[in-house]
Amino acid sequence: MKKILIVDDDPNIVDYLVTLFEDNGYATCSAGDVQEGLAAAKKEQPDLITLDLEMPGEWGPRFYRKMSEDKGLKNIPVIVITGFSESEHAVGKAVASLTKPFDREELLSIVKESLA
Amino acid sequence: MATEILLIDKDKGHAEALGVYLERQQFEVYKAGSPDDVLMLFDNLSVEIVLADPGLPDTDTVHLLKQIKKSHPGVQLIIMSADEQLDQAMDLLKQDVVHYLLKPVKSAALDLAVKQARTWIAMNKKVVRYEKEFKDLRNAQNLYQQLFNEVPCYISVQDREFRLTATNRMFKRDFGDEIGSYCYEVYKHRGSPCRNCPVAATFEDGLPHPTEEIVTSKSGKQYNVLTWTAPIRNSLGQVTQVMEMSTNITRLRQLQDHLTSLGLMIGSMSHGVKGMLTALDGGVYQLETGLARNDEQRTSKAFGQVKQMTGRIRNMVLEILYYAKSRELSYEPVDISKMVEKVLNNAKAIADKNGINLEASIANDLGAIEVDPNWMQAALVNFMENAVDACTYDRSKEDHAVKFDVFDPGGDRICFVIQDNGMGMDQETREKMFTLFFTSKGSQGTGLGLFIANRVIHQHGGTIKVESELQKGTRFKISLPRKKPEQPLRTDKPEKWANSLLDDSGKGST
Repeated sequence: MKKILIVDDDPNIVDYLVTLFEDNGYATCSAGDVQEGLAAAKKEQPDLITLDLEMPGEWGPRFYRKMSEDKGLKNIPVIVITGFSESEHAVGKAVASLTKPFDREELLSIVKESLA
Repeated sequence: MATEILLIDKDKGHAEALGVYLERQQFEVYKAGSPDDVLMLFDNLSVEIVLADPGLPDTDTVHLLKQIKKSHPGVQLIIMSADEQLDQAMDLLKQDVVHYLLKPVKSAALDLAVKQARTWIAMNKKVVRYEKEFKDLRNAQNLYQQLFNEVPCYISVQDREFRLTATNRMFKRDFGDEIGSYCYEVYKHRGSPCRNCPVAATFEDGLPHPTEEIVTSKSGKQYNVLTWTAPIRNSLGQVTQVMEMSTNITRLRQLQDHLTSLGLMIGSMSHGVKGMLTALDGGVYQLETGLARNDEQRTSKAFGQVKQMTGRIRNMVLEILYYAKSRELSYEPVDISKMVEKVLNNAKAIADKNGINLEASIANDLGAIEVDPNWMQAALVNFMENAVDACTYDRSKEDHAVKFDVFDPGGDRICFVIQDNGMGMDQETREKMFTLFFTSKGSQGTGLGLFIANRVIHQHGGTIKVESELQKGTRFKISLPRKKPEQPLRTDKPEKWANSLLDDSGKGST
């Protein structure tokens, strides 16, 4: 079973994504900020990460940079899910960038594609 | 319809003969012996020609004829008279008569006289018709003039040089009776025609052109107007003049300003809103799937989340509604030197980045002032930023400086003078600079900065004087009362704006 790490500071959204992914046959783990996210990524070795950009403390792009510096993590695909409407360039190497509120089917199809 | 002729002749034989002759020529002929017969006939017929022998020296008939001529001026008189009475007849009737004939009447002379009478009748009828038409025309013209004057728009008619040839009352009221002046002088106080002039475009292609303009009235008030042009053509179809109709939509724009600021505020809240909507999506999803799977635990959890999100969204909407209403400034006594220092720090960063020299001369012991510090600092920084920008954009000279003077002119007021030797402004820019979304910086500007700054100064009971000259520079003199104005002046902008103006250093915000 493929595992997805959800990094978002809003527990309601984490809950939503967890339910959505689990309903569609994925395992999940989650983190509420950058440090937690990096720790979880190392520990859980997810197959894919969804990343919020604006979080208290360090922001999403920082997470991405630190993750890219880690050999074990740098090849994990990242999907940015954020409230900023012009976020495509915030994390250049993300496989996709979705704006909240996102389209459920679109997200699932991107996840499926990225994990294929 | 045959022309009706009345024959008055005491000589029955002669009358009979004439009657036969005229009837043969398709005239309707009536004969009268006595004056009483005549008057009765006139009441019941539409006689147009009277052929009469005055029967002098008896003058009864002459009086009768005069009476007829008076009551029916359109009736044409032809007099037949014996040679020896002709002079007297002429003397008595004069120009009331169209033709005099000698008795016995010869047919050729009679034909000519009748023909002439009919010509007169036709001409008279024409004159009457023209008179009526002329009257109608005058009424119509009055009506159109009235409409032209009463239309609740500024209407002007202009020639190819944009000279005003006619203006309506509303135009005269707000812009003066300026027939012969140039449109751009009167409306915009400019010295040359405006770019993208809709009147010029209509002269060019003969089609109406709409634009939106900001114009300045004779009393210096600014109006937003929606302008529509229409060609005026001569009988050959050529456009000789153009009518320009401008509807004053200032109040509409003011409302729009308000809505726009609300929109901007919502924009700044949108991040939060988006998060809430996503969470609401999540709740709905879980509610849906929970119900489909009969998963009571999931359903009830999801319901809780939907409820929570609905509540949060509700609160946010209420907050927006609260913000949408006017808010009072939060005044507090502020040490002027400290406030000025903060403003200078902000401005210095911007000036340094652009290589502009910033000279400040701040008087000592300025004391305190009652202001809303967030707003006031934001406004002052904005003026400084604009001064720096005016220098940065000016390519006419090398050395640029922005001067900032703060002093106490007495009268319980404080003066802030911001002076630059940058590009300066022409009159049009000067008049429009405090207008929302007006910018002279192209895509670099938002048209917000000075609009808000101006509003803040006025809400604090302050005044702004602007002196500017192209290529020479601009001087803003802001005078603020030390004490909060008695009449509470209100602002309808959330503080967030003030902060973002302060943070938004590099970009000029006007």
